[in-house]
Amino acid sequence: MKDILRILIAPLLWLAAFSAVYGLLGLICGHGIGGTVLGLSLPRVLLIAAYGLAILLQAALLAALYHPRLAARSGFVRFVSRITGWAGLVAAGYTLFPVAVTSSCL
Amino acid sequence: MNALERHRRLRAIWASEPGMRGWLSTVNHNDLGRMFLLTAFVFFGIGGLLAMLIRAQLATPHSAFAGPQIYNQIFTMHGTIMMFLFAIPCFEGLAIYLLPKILGTRDLAFPRLTAYGYWCYVFGGVMLLVAMLLGIAPDAGWFIYPPLSGAIHSPGINTDFWLIGITFVEISAIAAAVEITVSVLKYRAPGMALDKMPIFAWYALITALMILTGFPPLILGSVLLELERAFGLPFFQAELGGDSLLWQHLFWLFGHPEVYIIFLPAAGVISTVLPVMCRTTLLGYGWIVAAAVGLAFLSFGLWVHHMFTTGIPHMGLAFFSAASTLVAVPTAVQIFAWIGTMWKGRPELHLPMLHILGFFCTFVIGGLTGVMVAVVPFDWQAHDTAFITAHLHYVLFGGFVFPILAGVYYWLPHVTGQRRVFRLGEVAFALVFLGFHVTFLAMHWVGLMGQRRRIPTYAPEDGWTAINLISSVGSFVLAIGLAMILIDVVLHVLIAARGKRNPWRAGTLEWAMMTPPPAYTFASLPQVDSRTPLADDPHLAVRLARGEGYLATPREGARETLCVDIASGRPDMHVVYPANTRLPVTMSALTGVFFLSLLVKFYWTVPLALAGVAILACKWVWGNGRREDPEPVQVREGITLANAATARRSPGWWGTLFLLSADATFFGALLFGFAFLWTVAPGWPPPEWFAGAMVMAGIGGFGALIGPAAMRQAIRANRRGDTALPGIGLALVGALAVAAACAAVMVQTPAPMGHAYGATLLVLGGYGLFHAGLGALMAGFLAARVLRGFTSRVRQAEFSIVSLWIDYLSVIGLLVLLAAYLPGLLS
Repeated sequence: MKDILRILIAPLLWLAAFSAVYGLLGLICGHGIGGTVLGLSLPRVLLIAAYGLAILLQAALLAALYHPRLAARSGFVRFVSRITGWAGLVAAGYTLFPVAVTSSCL
Repeated sequence: MNALERHRRLRAIWASEPGMRGWLSTVNHNDLGRMFLLTAFVFFGIGGLLAMLIRAQLATPHSAFAGPQIYNQIFTMHGTIMMFLFAIPCFEGLAIYLLPKILGTRDLAFPRLTAYGYWCYVFGGVMLLVAMLLGIAPDAGWFIYPPLSGAIHSPGINTDFWLIGITFVEISAIAAAVEITVSVLKYRAPGMALDKMPIFAWYALITALMILTGFPPLILGSVLLELERAFGLPFFQAELGGDSLLWQHLFWLFGHPEVYIIFLPAAGVISTVLPVMCRTTLLGYGWIVAAAVGLAFLSFGLWVHHMFTTGIPHMGLAFFSAASTLVAVPTAVQIFAWIGTMWKGRPELHLPMLHILGFFCTFVIGGLTGVMVAVVPFDWQAHDTAFITAHLHYVLFGGFVFPILAGVYYWLPHVTGQRRVFRLGEVAFALVFLGFHVTFLAMHWVGLMGQRRRIPTYAPEDGWTAINLISSVGSFVLAIGLAMILIDVVLHVLIAARGKRNPWRAGTLEWAMMTPPPAYTFASLPQVDSRTPLADDPHLAVRLARGEGYLATPREGARETLCVDIASGRPDMHVVYPANTRLPVTMSALTGVFFLSLLVKFYWTVPLALAGVAILACKWVWGNGRREDPEPVQVREGITLANAATARRSPGWWGTLFLLSADATFFGALLFGFAFLWTVAPGWPPPEWFAGAMVMAGIGGFGALIGPAAMRQAIRANRRGDTALPGIGLALVGALAVAAACAAVMVQTPAPMGHAYGATLLVLGGYGLFHAGLGALMAGFLAARVLRGFTSRVRQAEFSIVSLWIDYLSVIGLLVLLAAYLPGLLS
């Protein structure tokens, strides 16, 4: 089962991060969270921080999938889990990129 | 023992009862797979007839063919039948028939569950058909949006048929998904490590996991909408703290993955059939597995692209637009791998290959229009027009029907043991291909000219007349083509021209047996060392029939197989299956009584039906056990395996794990709904917070915490050979404490019919109460098993299963209490 988890874990993390950031956007817009931090809009700072955290977690997971102690023993599982690891990282970077450029609650 | 003697003895053990009794009592995957497929194609025919009625209505302006009331029922039932009663069951049927054979085992993990799922599907489907015949079929569109489908705007019983009938049918999907997941992971031929699994098994596994996580949100939505309609709990009424958008979220959380749940098995068929048709091996096996996994997960991040016109903030639109374009990448990886496979091999234009080429042309166009509608500004223009109808038909017909027809022609010689005599199929393919493209290319066009979906008629001055007529003519050509395929298949079955055992010279295990397949599938189980074992050893079928594999000697009338380690494929358990029984059909009939009682609001039979189901479930499990420790069994010379009843992680444990994952998704969706209403719906905060007695929270919390600890103590005591009854008793007390606390939440929740907050707490409490009751029933059942001598230090499997349920109860019990008490305390 650990090998199956190795294959599924990175896209699962992306899904969790994607849903969490969308949920955060809902909270910010639904509860009218506003204000500024260091001259920057608080909602934008929160969303970009979440975006950064998502990418960081995906990158850490990918590194773990390459680590000899954590990688699968089966060459096939190692190969597939690393592809899905890269897929998770690229998906996090691409699908959450709008936090940096689009208006949040319009 | 020679091959013939082995065949006779195995057939006596595995055969279904003769005649009609056999239909009702069979638990064999060969029978049930065929029954599933046949029933699914009957529904396909009915759905197709409804499509013809739609096209007849739209062929001319101001058509008087059907009035709006009937027309609404026709298009609603067309979508509902095709999605819920054809596509998903067709996958289930194919997987049930095929998986044990390609995995090199004798049956699926839980044969009685397969039968139960089949009968739920039949009864639920018949319920919807009866509604249609009586003229009271669902009529609010296949995604049945409130407020249109609410009690105010749809006061009749039509919508209830959809909500209750589809939930009934979905039991079948969840049952099949649990079955398929455990079967692929644990029931494989010895030596079949993950990298040696046939590609169809990977697709089936991924699809089954998607069903387990994709269907529960819709089941939840259906439960909530039915509660609103029947009892006035206002989940979707904005004036009472609800929000109709919650339905859209729950529906599309299911609905978009559903598209890929339909496509992925078809992609599995392509990946299996295409290399055989091209006389080569599949290019990029690992890449395809990774792409299918990626596609499955990305499909869960697209649901809001069905809601681009609902006023969601720009940033939210951009998230889902990005995800919707990204999903094209793993799809393209598979398409390019298939093109590469064709390039690598020598394609032969047999009939299955023609349908695969039909798939390529059609699905790629559907994928490209999918990228178009993923772009928000275009979607705003095309939303709810015939363009979308055309797009989804290109994806679903191209991505499912063409591959399934390829599969039908590819595996038909396996099912019947015969070969085709007439060449009707080639002509039929041409008509289907031409008819489909004429129908739906025209529909793209008329959609871009502004024709909305679901309209019963239009005026001549709209300028859509000629295009609609062309589309309707195309649809009738398509129907004639499909009818010819039906005739071709019937002729194939009726004209008994004996075929070769492996007519396509395929390398996968389903062809390593006689055709049509015997009930026991393999006379002895193969040792697998590659992805194409039959290509490596063309005499494999004969060697297995001679008994040169595992479990070659039939024993004591038992239906035997073995389980393997998930990663390595090393044999790790000996399994004995249950025999034929009418228990599944009886239990699904009682389940039907439960749903029917809700439908006709005859509530006093609801607890009777539930009690009946619970009694039959206990009978079902009770029959599994044995009162003496099973001896290890020699499955092959030098290899001895322990019985599954002695394993901590038995097949039942795995089945429970995956069933609970679906259950957890249901609960997660409920919590999401609570958070969504709180954050987005108007009319919040509610007029009154829940202020239950803290002592009940304490009792519930204590019960939730003590249960898992008590079960662990019981497991340890059993292993030591001491009595496990005190631990089980304490777990039972814990479950009852959680039940009491959840019941208190339900009783004390403020005005459930006055605000969505109270209604949500009522459902949360009910969910906790139901699971606490289930936990108590299981603990009581286990205690009875211990008292009757069905467990021992060695026979420990049932402890782990009950422990898993008690752990789950503990987690959800605490979360229910937290969700109920915390907001009131914080306020």
